[in-house]
Amino acid sequence: MLPRRVFQFLIIYFLFLCGLMALKYGLALSDYVIPAPVGIYHTLIAEYRQYSLATMNTMTVAVIGQVISVGMALVIGIAGRQSTWLGSFIKVAAFNFQAYPIVALAPILFILLGDGFLTRLLIAAMICYFPVLLSVLGIMSKPVDDIEHFYRVTGRMRWQLEVKIRTFENLTQLTTVIAGSATLAMAGTIVGEFIAANAGIGYSIRIALYQSDLGKILIALFLIGITIAVYQALLESLGVVIKRAWTGR
Amino acid sequence: MPLICDKVAFTYPGAELPLFTDVSFELAAPGFHSFFGPSGVGKTSLARIITGDIAQFSGRVATDGLANLLYSHNKERLPGWSGVGRHLTRVIPPSMQAGIDELVEIFGLSDCIGSRFDQLSMGQQNRVNLIRYLLQDCDLLIMDESLANVDELTRERIILAVKAMFPRRYFIYISHNVVEVARFCDAILVFRGRGKTPQTVMVQGCNIRTKDDLSRAALDATLLEIMNAA
Repeated sequence: MLPRRVFQFLIIYFLFLCGLMALKYGLALSDYVIPAPVGIYHTLIAEYRQYSLATMNTMTVAVIGQVISVGMALVIGIAGRQSTWLGSFIKVAAFNFQAYPIVALAPILFILLGDGFLTRLLIAAMICYFPVLLSVLGIMSKPVDDIEHFYRVTGRMRWQLEVKIRTFENLTQLTTVIAGSATLAMAGTIVGEFIAANAGIGYSIRIALYQSDLGKILIALFLIGITIAVYQALLESLGVVIKRAWTGR
Repeated sequence: MPLICDKVAFTYPGAELPLFTDVSFELAAPGFHSFFGPSGVGKTSLARIITGDIAQFSGRVATDGLANLLYSHNKERLPGWSGVGRHLTRVIPPSMQAGIDELVEIFGLSDCIGSRFDQLSMGQQNRVNLIRYLLQDCDLLIMDESLANVDELTRERIILAVKAMFPRRYFIYISHNVVEVARFCDAILVFRGRGKTPQTVMVQGCNIRTKDDLSRAALDATLLEIMNAA
């Protein structure tokens, strides 16, 4: 799983680079607009260490944000699964909230909380949270009648058992959503850093933008992509291990 | 404590025509009874009305004195996280646990009790599902195609064993196998095709209790009566 993910990313990244080079040499663009491969290589050597640390910093925030958002989505999703007034309210509120772009709220967070760790974490968690919540709500609201019927008619159904049945029956979907949400958490963190933070790879990209240094941006994109690919592969592997242990297959 | 249905009518929400109207019958005593008829005439719906799963109907269903009415069907599954034996031990009340081994043996499931549900054939799955319902504390059990995909000899062994082991329980067996229904069932509520009046007719089955009970002439007469009614 890990080599495949990394290999897929490398293919896409180098195709993207080839496209840029085709554009550069096709339109005779200067190195100032799109640096030559040698220039990108020199930037890589010069910035590799600092950008790797910045990417790790961003990744740490993204992982913590994702864990928080998945935990919250599970709690709210389980609470909102029922056809009660509270369940309906949670579902409607989730659908309405997620329609609002979180990025537009980011400046408010920066004004209220400053440009430190907490703000980045909140933005990452919020961007990751709603898609996971909608998936969890969808899974938890849908009865698995052919299994649940027996427990209902014999009076054995408890909410814990209901959640366990629905989780088990949708394990593949849940693990896919959680692995996919890693990208959202990373994107959220970078967007937050790009807007106003003082650390992380998004912050480094912002500085590179002000310097109009496409080479630095390309190196940052490479490090972000490879980090997400590895993290997602690890999450997928974890999902497979959990599924194998639980289902015996 | 008879089971009485009086002028029961049911229409699916949003449907223009009722599924059935004016269905009346009485099951005066416990035993192995049946609903028989073509697909789509309302056997399952009536069964679910009796057990309280469907509340939007008109007419009267009296189940006074009958506690715990259960409806089981052949599409049910067991959770996949544990083996069949472990599941049965967990969902069957302690007072009924003694019956597990006996039923597992009669139902021909001894070899697969350690397997997970999805590793079983469809017939084995239906038998496992039926065992867990039989070993519940209930006065009425509706078995909707509960022995589908089970071979004829095993079905016969199971039905005779169920009748012998639970003589004080009401069973309503829903099946499309007319010979089986005619041989083993006591009261048979035959659902007639759409547009026929009355929509149901009660026929007395042979209700055999051992393999040797059956009289060929009695079976033929019952079969004829069912086919004429349908």
